[in-house]
Amino acid sequence: MLESRDSTEIVPTPAGVSTVTAAPGADEAAHRRRMPIGAWLAIAWLVFVGGAALLAPVLPIDDWKFGTFRDARDGWFTNGHWFGADESGRDVFSRVVWGGRSSLLIAVGSIAIGVLVGGFLGLCAGYFGRRTDSVLSASFNIMLAFPQLVLALTLVAVLSPFQEEDPPTRWERVRVMILAIGIVSIPILARITRANALAWSQREFVMAAKAQGARSMRVMFREVLPNVIPAILSIALLGIGVVIVIEGGLALFGVSVSRPDPTWGNMIAGEISDVQKQPHVWQAPALFIFVTVLALNYLGDFVRSRFDVRESAI
Amino acid sequence: MMALALVAAACGGGDDDGEGGGNGNGGDDGGVSVEDLTPQAVLAREAELTPTPGGEITYALEAETTGGWCLVEAQLAISGIQVARALYDTLTAPDENGEIQPHLAESVTANDDSTEFTIKLREGITFHDGSALDATVVKNNLDAYRGAYEGRAPQLFVLVFGPYIASTEVVDPLTVKVTTNQPWPAFPWYLWGSHRLGIMAQAQLDSDECNTKMIGTGPFMLDSWTTGEQLVAVKNPDYWRTDEAGNQLPYLDRITFVPVESGPDRLTGLRSGEFDVIMTSGALQIVEIRKDVEAGELASVESDQFGEVGYAMLNATKPPFDSQTAREAMAYAVDRETYNDLRNDGILTNAQGPFAPGNVGYLEDAGYPEYDPEKAQQLVQQYKEETGNDLEFTITHSGDPETTKTAELVQQMGEAVGAKISLKPIADQSTLINTALGKDFQAVLWRNHPGGHPDLQFVWWHCNTEPPEPCDNLVNFGGFNDAEINRLLEEGRAATDPAEQKEIYENLNREFAKKLYNLWAQYTLWTIAHKPNVHGVMGPPLPGGQGPFPGLGTGHPVTGMWVEQ
Amino acid sequence: MRTIVRRLIQLVVVIVVVTFFTSVLTRLLPGDPTTLIAQFATPDEREELRAELGLNRNVVAQYGSWATDFFTGDMGTYYAGTGVRGEDVYDRAKIALPKSLLLIFYAQVVTLLIAVPLGVITAYRAGKRVDRWANTVAFGLVAIPAFVLAALLKLYLGLEWDLLPTIGWIDLTDDPVEHFRHAAMPVIVLAVGQIAVYARLLRSDMVATLQEDFILMAKSKGISNRRILWRHALRPSSLTLLTVAGLNIGTLLSGALVIEIIFDVGGIGSLIYDAINRRQYFALQSLIALVAIAYVVVNFIVDLLYTVLDPRIRSARIA
Repeated sequence: MLESRDSTEIVPTPAGVSTVTAAPGADEAAHRRRMPIGAWLAIAWLVFVGGAALLAPVLPIDDWKFGTFRDARDGWFTNGHWFGADESGRDVFSRVVWGGRSSLLIAVGSIAIGVLVGGFLGLCAGYFGRRTDSVLSASFNIMLAFPQLVLALTLVAVLSPFQEEDPPTRWERVRVMILAIGIVSIPILARITRANALAWSQREFVMAAKAQGARSMRVMFREVLPNVIPAILSIALLGIGVVIVIEGGLALFGVSVSRPDPTWGNMIAGEISDVQKQPHVWQAPALFIFVTVLALNYLGDFVRSRFDVRESAI
Repeated sequence: MMALALVAAACGGGDDDGEGGGNGNGGDDGGVSVEDLTPQAVLAREAELTPTPGGEITYALEAETTGGWCLVEAQLAISGIQVARALYDTLTAPDENGEIQPHLAESVTANDDSTEFTIKLREGITFHDGSALDATVVKNNLDAYRGAYEGRAPQLFVLVFGPYIASTEVVDPLTVKVTTNQPWPAFPWYLWGSHRLGIMAQAQLDSDECNTKMIGTGPFMLDSWTTGEQLVAVKNPDYWRTDEAGNQLPYLDRITFVPVESGPDRLTGLRSGEFDVIMTSGALQIVEIRKDVEAGELASVESDQFGEVGYAMLNATKPPFDSQTAREAMAYAVDRETYNDLRNDGILTNAQGPFAPGNVGYLEDAGYPEYDPEKAQQLVQQYKEETGNDLEFTITHSGDPETTKTAELVQQMGEAVGAKISLKPIADQSTLINTALGKDFQAVLWRNHPGGHPDLQFVWWHCNTEPPEPCDNLVNFGGFNDAEINRLLEEGRAATDPAEQKEIYENLNREFAKKLYNLWAQYTLWTIAHKPNVHGVMGPPLPGGQGPFPGLGTGHPVTGMWVEQ
Repeated sequence: MRTIVRRLIQLVVVIVVVTFFTSVLTRLLPGDPTTLIAQFATPDEREELRAELGLNRNVVAQYGSWATDFFTGDMGTYYAGTGVRGEDVYDRAKIALPKSLLLIFYAQVVTLLIAVPLGVITAYRAGKRVDRWANTVAFGLVAIPAFVLAALLKLYLGLEWDLLPTIGWIDLTDDPVEHFRHAAMPVIVLAVGQIAVYARLLRSDMVATLQEDFILMAKSKGISNRRILWRHALRPSSLTLLTVAGLNIGTLLSGALVIEIIFDVGGIGSLIYDAINRRQYFALQSLIALVAIAYVVVNFIVDLLYTVLDPRIRSARIA
């Protein structure tokens, strides 16, 4: 998983993990111990988008469900609609904000599961090694053997059939997706955590702590975990971006949240069969996805380069 | 007849003036005069042209027919019917005036009280596999349709024919006699059945690959079928028809049918030259096509005559729409003008009832409720008082993007007056049809009732049981059992005098507007758009010399199509 | 040798587990699959269907029979109604899979054709403006989801400017020109996503290689920069890139699924989408198993090649 796009991957190389690096400036800034402007911009954007999503119910924006029919299909910046209106006159900006609510919730929720469960399992695998590691690694590898999108699709299908008595509510569907994508993300986060935990576990101070008779778990949490956290954070940030894109992919297959409840993915999916008709309706959420993923990638990379000096970067 | 068709909530629109029905309003883009695009206008223009034989076309349809063409058991939607028109013939066919004429049959004569029908076949017609079209195979086909043939199990046709046909009999090698249980003047219409009652060869009828090995008498023969990809039909060199000059029909050597679900994609393919012909009822595409026609880049023919109507079908067997109050509330809640503008670019015509322009029973004003949000709100309140419940329901609909947006619009309008509405999209057609059959819905966006004789609609609405008993008719999906409607349907079926029929069906129309079991949207406007070098879309004159049927809601003949060489 | 055998055993185990999971997919679905598939069947027909689909047996037996069928080429049929034989999944997959594979192949070729020169140039001019610009652009490109790029291309290249066809697929044997024209947009979308990654990978390896002694030697001998770059430095630097390219084939398969829907390609992705829509869960099982196996096998082969080709990596691998 953790593909920034459908077709790139966080690739395990002999040296560890490699991705496309952040824009120049991240590395130099790390050495200068000052945050580059890029990082601030990224944080600002994420605060804006996340804040808007969180506060959507109390923000003074139009209703996402009811439109002014007269405004139907208005383009960018017309009739008081920043992003125009859709085919029923609904305000696209408002729908993008509410859509962000669902999309970000799914993204953060799934990565949270991945980090908590996968991180813990990876930590154990890397720290305890030997049999624990063999068993855990084997399970990770098997799960990783599935193409991710297909696995996510399958899990969504299994966890909630496509046809129920009553149509699924937004919250039911969001829950299913968080669980499904979360499960898919576990092995990836686990593997990366394991790699890091393994490396750190062989350091002298960890050995020393163990030799002093401290309990294993305690050592793991006290000595190894803090050092592994930057890597996890970095991957988590990247991962959130990836899940946002995965939600889009699932929406195209028709299994994301059902309309009229918006998500960034299903807003795009709803227009994909006629991209020409009202392009602003899909371009707006697409823009938000792009900038958000960009910001997350930048921050993730920044965290990695700043804190993880041991890593041989590209 | 059995237009268990797609569920895009309507798009149709006839101009309701003049005879023969009009074709869509001018819409908002001036330019091409829509009168030039009616079947009648197109036929007049092409009358002077001389067809050139040979050539191939690629025809893009709106869906694949995954169930295949075992006609007796199939539930063909319009895309399936269009293919059936290439491969099969029906015993009868309607003409330019909406009257039924013999087609594959040489004659269909009724006795005095319309209880016996003698079908006389033409000599020398063979199926694609060389077997002869004779009375035995026709009798077997008819028996299969009515559920009296071993090995075939029709689910729907058995309901149409089963209870009403007493017997079929081979009188001589070219004559079949059908006896009905009651007077049935409209029976010859059923032999056409919206071109669903094609006659299959014995080999196909008895085969367990009936749905994939199609053998008919039609102008084209099945060459190959790869589901989801294409169906190739090649010229039947021994087709039984010739044109007026004596040339062998059909003109084309080959038709390749391609399923393309997305309307915009179909249009794109036509514009780019990949397709030669497309069919669509999407109002937004039709607007675009008109522009192209005006620019001389494409040609098209449009018709809502004798057409279908789009509507929201309400389930009268369970809450909330078992209550007249609830039905009225929703009828007044929907602003059909705005709906038509937003969803159809305004080019369709709001329907007052199930009978489209051209059909007997059509009324410009049947008393259907006009948009009145205050009244709607009052009724919602009233419903709450009467039942103690909020007016809450689910709209079931086809999952394609356009229909979904239409459903959302209706949802908005309904919620604006106080109803609570959720949406349930259903992605595939068969499930949608099964949902309707199982009455597993409260309101569903639907489209049906293509025309011809209004008695063709009998099967959809009539109940043999009396209210308040539940309706025994499985394909009355809404489940309403209405004494008045039952009576009118029965009277209409038996009536032989045209004036009497007209009055009966117009009253039926008004009854629907009162009871509101279906909330009518617009009449469907179909268009066949094609490259300018393709002609003959409406088909050749009928064997008896009459002009071809101007409806497009059940497809169109491919027999007369030709390409300029 | 022993590693290869071990890996092979691992492969078989993974395939078994992966196919086991997909084969019991329908069992895991809440509710009775027969109601999902044959909604209007009578109870008798339902029993028949359950028997036909092996739902009455225990999980292992069901897997056993499913596996024997699948691995001998019987991928099941689409359900078309009682008593009627639906189309073979295999027949449709047979047509669809080559399209998906061709797409992926073209995408890889196009990517490499662009990414390699790009990587070389940015390595050569590391730190300079070209490099920094390329880095920024790469960074930006990676953030564009494939389906967004697809929509953009479809709208502008296809519909507005009418440069390329937007839907459908023409076989190479039918019309080579149209074949490539129809494949162009999906391939571009798939390729764009990769170019950035590959170019940066190559760049970083080349930057390291360019600092090695033998390069300095070549320079001192007077060999031109160009020759050094392409003849001497490129080969040793391309190992990571080739590995990633290989491993990515599997991921590309996954990415191609979504693209196929948008461009109506008719490959495995379109089939999966169709099966989901039509609730053909048994066909879906087979299709998912097919994709999963393809993914696993490709990764295995590449992994093997990688280990075989570069001994110094074998022992140093962490993951």
